[in-house]
Amino acid sequence: MEYDLGPEAAALRGRLRALVREHVPADYLGAFTADPADLAIAQDFCRLLADEGLLCMAWPEEFGGRGASLWEQTVVREEMWARHEPRGAQYMGVNWVGPTIMRHGTPEQRAQHLPPIARGEVIWCQGFSEPGSGSDLASLRTAARPDPDGDDAGGRAWRIHGQKIWTSYASMAQWCFLLARTSSSGRRQQGLTIFLVPMDSPGIEVRPIACMMGPHHLNEVFLDGVRVTEADVLGEVDGGWAVVQEVLAFERVGIARYARVERLLQEAPAALGDAWDELPAELRGRWARMLTHARRARLLAYRVVSRQGTGQVSPVDSAAYRIAVTRLDQDGAEVLTEIAMAAEPDGEAGAHVDSVDPRRWRRAVEDHARYAVASTVASGSIEMQRILLSRALVAASGAPSSAQPGTAARAGAAS
Amino acid sequence: MTAAAVDAVTGLAAGGGVVLDLSDEAAEFGRTAQRALETAGGDELAQAAEREPARRAELVAPVLDELGAWDLDPRGSADELEAAAALCRAAGWWAAPYPVAQRLARPAGGDADALFVVAPAAPAAPVGGLDLRLAAVTLDGRRYAATARESDVPARRSAFVVGLDLAPLAGAAADADAAGGQADAALGLVLGCWTLLGLLDRAMTLTRTYILEREQFGQPLARFQGVQFQLTDAEVERAGVAELAGYALWSIESGQAEALDDALALRLAAVEAAETVFRITHQLHGAMGFCDETTLSWLSRYSQPLRRLPLGRSATQDALASRLGRRGLAGIFGPNAMAATK
Ligand SMILES: Cc1cc2nc3c(=O)[nH]c(=O)nc-3n(C[C@H](O)[C@H](O)[C@H](O)COP(=O)(O)OP(=O)(O)OC[C@H]3O[C@@H](n4cnc5c(N)ncnc54)[C@H](O)[C@@H]3O)c2cc1C
Repeated sequence: MEYDLGPEAAALRGRLRALVREHVPADYLGAFTADPADLAIAQDFCRLLADEGLLCMAWPEEFGGRGASLWEQTVVREEMWARHEPRGAQYMGVNWVGPTIMRHGTPEQRAQHLPPIARGEVIWCQGFSEPGSGSDLASLRTAARPDPDGDDAGGRAWRIHGQKIWTSYASMAQWCFLLARTSSSGRRQQGLTIFLVPMDSPGIEVRPIACMMGPHHLNEVFLDGVRVTEADVLGEVDGGWAVVQEVLAFERVGIARYARVERLLQEAPAALGDAWDELPAELRGRWARMLTHARRARLLAYRVVSRQGTGQVSPVDSAAYRIAVTRLDQDGAEVLTEIAMAAEPDGEAGAHVDSVDPRRWRRAVEDHARYAVASTVASGSIEMQRILLSRALVAASGAPSSAQPGTAARAGAAS
Repeated sequence: MTAAAVDAVTGLAAGGGVVLDLSDEAAEFGRTAQRALETAGGDELAQAAEREPARRAELVAPVLDELGAWDLDPRGSADELEAAAALCRAAGWWAAPYPVAQRLARPAGGDADALFVVAPAAPAAPVGGLDLRLAAVTLDGRRYAATARESDVPARRSAFVVGLDLAPLAGAAADADAAGGQADAALGLVLGCWTLLGLLDRAMTLTRTYILEREQFGQPLARFQGVQFQLTDAEVERAGVAELAGYALWSIESGQAEALDDALALRLAAVEAAETVFRITHQLHGAMGFCDETTLSWLSRYSQPLRRLPLGRSATQDALASRLGRRGLAGIFGPNAMAATK
């Protein structure tokens, strides 16, 4: 057995940490704040990573990457998420927009979209959810109706009408990965199409939604006659559902949530200084338990990664990981918040300080706790993962899988 | 799509060298042991031992002897340690009524046949009906010779647990550094958790089968989302223990300084998981799960010593927290993390 990722991974980790130390302020809490300077930091950092060949290192060389291993990608995810994702919204482009365009895009689409993603210059948003369609994504109603004028080259064109909701980063995005209905005959899943739509297209309006996670996380996107053509279709017309399943599968392992929890937990004693010794023994016990849960989630992630390496990812592994890691986010937030509250609000750390600024740590805990509430809903609710996992478990013993309503849902289920 | 694009997506590029599974030989040894125990009686073993505790040894030990189990030296090599772990998991699957893990962990030197990790305040072990020379070690690495007290509690209620009398070791073994004793404690805890993992594997498998067969409201229980979700909660716990068990084993075989931390972390997760898994697997079996004719009831009763000794959930958590102090647990940001990135 071997759980050490090896010297190359350690070297990469060290390099990323050095870059973050040098280029990202220590009190950085992510790009999604009311302060435009935070967004600028992410833009600059992405360019830097791109220049260093670290932004899209997992991509093949022909698309601007260097074919890095899954384990190197894992290190990048861990280091970035632990430091409040200094890549900003661009991580979505790297993790799933780019790879999906590699798989399904035309040569023109690849040439147009992949280089700017690889350079960290472009922000994408994901237009899937609608007011009436969350978990039951296939029920969506935003419609692309044929435009009789067609496109300039004699191909097809459509006008899109409808509304998307919960669209993260929509107000900062240049492009939308939009799912719309192109046909209402057949099964609901069959008439859906992915369009790659510029956010400055006439007919698009974005309205931010104030929410507890902070600015930019949730928006409404209104589409009023937005014109798209065949050149904007990713994959097949009416074939969008299969692409969405892939996107969700990428998305689910794309965030190393455990890394931030582990970091905050590890820093807690130094952040509290002498106050650490005054904590109730039971709270220190829960801290130790949470460290164990953070390790557990990390190992479940490594299980998924190692199966990816052999091309055998099963829903049992990926759903178990996602359930464990999203719960960790919330259970960890409870323990961290309780520890943070035990420290004096403006107190300096005591004699035991290593290199942890107590105020920075407390702000990071508060930020984490507000964000963690959403972790069991964002990217598909935890119940969708439980449906996937239980189906797979039951099917594993040779029985027909159950036909619950909601199983053809935003779970990434191949239904 | 180009071949390169496929690689980017599925990430087939090589690297890492991470190995999360037991060696093929160890896994095969585990499967062989599981079959051998089945041939020797399988679920009947625990029942026969409960009727006649004095027969515990003859029911199990010769089968494992034939497989060469007692020639394994888990301290000797990674391969042997992994084979020992696989064997413990197989013994857990059948709730084999014999301290397989503790016999495998017996101290070097030949003075004792089995090693038990004990809490000094109330040393106890499931050794009723056995005639073995016992050694004991505490979590802080102190070593003792142990003798089992007489007990008149029937096995059905004691699950073979009896009190132990401890005598500090004289001579060389007593002087041995605490680190050696702590390594013993880590080994004992980890192999015990592999046994418990085998019990959890089995409880889950039995429950899966049960909810597919049992019908209520005109359909198998497995069709109800309330049932499905309980099963997933238990499975996430079981799967998590399986990963931590691998990690703690590697920590021992690769000589990590934190091996005892890792063993305690595993033990905490395993005890917690057992609580969830047995609550849920019992619940989903309904009344049937309490009956002697249902294997789950045997697993449930004989999981008790593994879950309560040497320390239960709260005391394990306390022990882990006081060992970790301000240092935390090894990991990407843990005590050894920065060294690894220098
Ligand atoms: C922070 C954040 C960012 C997001 N970003 C985006 C984005 O960028 N783009 C985008 O398209 N969407 C985004 N979403 C939306 C997200 O995908 C949806 O919230 C999610 O799919 C759940 O849909 P819903 O909120 O409509 O909940 P609903 O589907 O209304 O469900 C509510 C709750 O009911 C329960 N439930 C529903 N169905 C079942 C069932 N069959 N069985 C059992 N229980 C069930 C679950 O507990 C669920 O959480 C984001 C959400 C969050 C929180």
